Amino acid sequence: MSKVTKGLEIPRLLQAALVIGGIYLAFWAVFDLLLGQPIPRSLMGMYMFFVVAGVFMVFTATEQSTRELVGPIRALVEDPSRRALRNVVFAVVPGLAAVGIFLQMQPSDEAPLELRSIHPAPPSSVKIFGKRYDLMSLENPYRHLEKDDPEQFRELVGTGGEVYIRNCQYCHGDKLDGKGPYAQGLNPVPLNFQDIGTIAQLQESFLFWRIATGGPGLPKEATPWISSMPVWEKFLSEDEIWQVILYLYDYTGHRPRSWGHE
Amino acid sequence: MTAQIKKMFARTQSGVSWLQPWLMASWLLVLVTGPAIPVFAAGDAERGAEIYTVRCALCHGDEGDGMGPAAERLNPPPRDFTMAQYKIRTTGFEEIAPADADLVRMIHDGMPGTAMPGWGDLLSEQDIDDLVVFIKTLAGLEEEEPGKPIDYGNQVAISAESIEQGSQIFHDDDRCSECHGQGGKGDAVKKLKDDSGYRTWPRNLTKPWTFRGSNDPRDIYTRITTGIAGTQMPSFDDPASENRLSIEQRWHVANYVNSLAKTDKVVRPENTVIRAVRVEGRVPTAPDDPQWQQALPSTFLLVPQLIAEERFFTPTNDTITVRAVYNEEEIAFHLEWDDRTRSIPGDKAAEKIADPEISEDMVAIQLPMALPRGTEKPYFLYGDAAHPVNLWSWHSGTTDSAPRVSLRNARGRADTIERDPVAVGLEGTGSYRDGTWQVVVGRSRVTADPTQDLQFIEGAFIPVAFSAWDGSNSEQGSAHTLTTWYWLLLKPSPGNQPWLYAGFAFVLILLLELWWARSAQRRRRI
Repeated sequence: MSKVTKGLEIPRLLQAALVIGGIYLAFWAVFDLLLGQPIPRSLMGMYMFFVVAGVFMVFTATEQSTRELVGPIRALVEDPSRRALRNVVFAVVPGLAAVGIFLQMQPSDEAPLELRSIHPAPPSSVKIFGKRYDLMSLENPYRHLEKDDPEQFRELVGTGGEVYIRNCQYCHGDKLDGKGPYAQGLNPVPLNFQDIGTIAQLQESFLFWRIATGGPGLPKEATPWISSMPVWEKFLSEDEIWQVILYLYDYTGHRPRSWGHE
Repeated sequence: MTAQIKKMFARTQSGVSWLQPWLMASWLLVLVTGPAIPVFAAGDAERGAEIYTVRCALCHGDEGDGMGPAAERLNPPPRDFTMAQYKIRTTGFEEIAPADADLVRMIHDGMPGTAMPGWGDLLSEQDIDDLVVFIKTLAGLEEEEPGKPIDYGNQVAISAESIEQGSQIFHDDDRCSECHGQGGKGDAVKKLKDDSGYRTWPRNLTKPWTFRGSNDPRDIYTRITTGIAGTQMPSFDDPASENRLSIEQRWHVANYVNSLAKTDKVVRPENTVIRAVRVEGRVPTAPDDPQWQQALPSTFLLVPQLIAEERFFTPTNDTITVRAVYNEEEIAFHLEWDDRTRSIPGDKAAEKIADPEISEDMVAIQLPMALPRGTEKPYFLYGDAAHPVNLWSWHSGTTDSAPRVSLRNARGRADTIERDPVAVGLEGTGSYRDGTWQVVVGRSRVTADPTQDLQFIEGAFIPVAFSAWDGSNSEQGSAHTLTTWYWLLLKPSPGNQPWLYAGFAFVLILLLELWWARSAQRRRRI
């Protein structure tokens, strides 16, 4: 049954182990090292379960490959000449399992996982300032001035900047990068508007909804009870909210999304 | 290396595209005309003015006078550039103009502990050079030669002797301790104001991450030598001052200040769980009980209450350190936070350094009234109608009333009910020393009415949050600092179960292996 290995061929079993280890390392390199956002252990366990299952399915796709995969293991148990190695493996495997179970049984210090949706689906209409707004058709009433009256538009952006610096920079930061002086004390951390994944992906009506109703206005999947976003309809006028939205897009250079094409 | 990669990411993400054509054009010009004409060599004030308008004017004001629209909501307020007073300077205190490198540093790295961020990721070096030239014009310094740098002499290396000598100089005649306090926590004995009349607080030297510069001895030496312009921090190199120190003495003080960093009070953002330690016997009730040292400290950031009416913008407290201990019946929290002032309403000395209206110092622990099912917690600000919270507060007392604890149930800010703390056995003690409050608050783990009070069970992750009030900083009611939800875990002892299961697994797997080996042997014989 032993096949003559040609050149640098890696045994199938080792191949499988290398693929699984490689994927694990890649996860670690991308999330821990590069992004600085380690995946919680329980989630990592789930991912690796699917990785192992997937690799196993690929490596046992044909009878031939299955035989190649389990070949070395069978040889270890059944080949009398490898008895010494077998005894060592037979002692180490249950030992490792025992240590694993012992550690697993220790009470966990790790905080429970709190998954939340960052951009939850907006309701179709919402009541703000005692009025009902249809979020599907709502538009920034000042957006058209960008073309029609650039001078007035600049002025409104300026007013939006003043609203921002008086109210928002403490958390979202002078640079709109979500790193204001108090950002670190909050969980979830304030959004980074410079990031291509935030306001650049959203319509102005979405921002209007999020600003006006704040954290408590979030749907449950977005964990309203931990969001530190104030309910701005209590502090700002409708005009001020639209102006600060102009400022967010102007400062970051992003364009709001829209239904129509210009 | 990772930090570099992250920086690269940050740079590409923020990409300030409107500057690119400018830079390109300038490079082309240099290439065409050759290096003989330095186009942007020293920075361009006009370009600097444009950048200033977009990036700086909202805080520092269109005229550079620090009177931007948010001025009164920022603590410390934005710098007034017309006064030519720069906090970080390596030029002698009598020099008129700063060194460009100092201005570049402040813009590039920002000012820790203030609203001024580091701009190094958003602005290019050329942008910052241009800004520096422009900012100098705001104070009429464009024609001035840069000031002469200070004399660093021979740096004295950090050593126990040097720190000891520094400590003596620091405390002799109350030279530094008069403002910075005996322990260096900046606990005030007098009211300080800067040249513009704003209240300033002496630096808490045990928290180096709030230093505008850094706590590198060289930076500290520089600050001692130049003083901090516009504030009451004087130069200790002033020949006219009787407090003048020699170069060597200043190095000793720098080494001493560097040694004050309190590393157990550093906030570690990944630490979100307070691990309560189980003890046999009584739970400690005195704040200085050595038993507290058994419990791991968790330090959390305090942020001002910016969220609900009335919003509060100018806090003084910045972190709180929490420990917890429990036994079969009771649980107690040990809360420790630096507060520069002991606020005693009615006390003349305390009222003199307080900003009116003085009120008691206070701290509060917020717990859900019932352990949440699933992930849904009470709203982190005083709970909500469906998810009420318990608020345990400790009040520091006035000249007329002793310190006390109070107990409230809250369903949101507007809906709180005062309850009798004695009925549930809630007790508290506090002590204030050298700029630090230490408060112990605790009660029995279970109470008579589980529908009104949280029951502390082992092994559950219990949401917990904290608030603090500095009564000398006009903090009362909604004006205070707070933390977001964290977790409290009463970690049960695992007992001998892990050993049992591990042993069972070992034997089971070993038996399976033997069975496999035997059957393989048998097959071979056949």
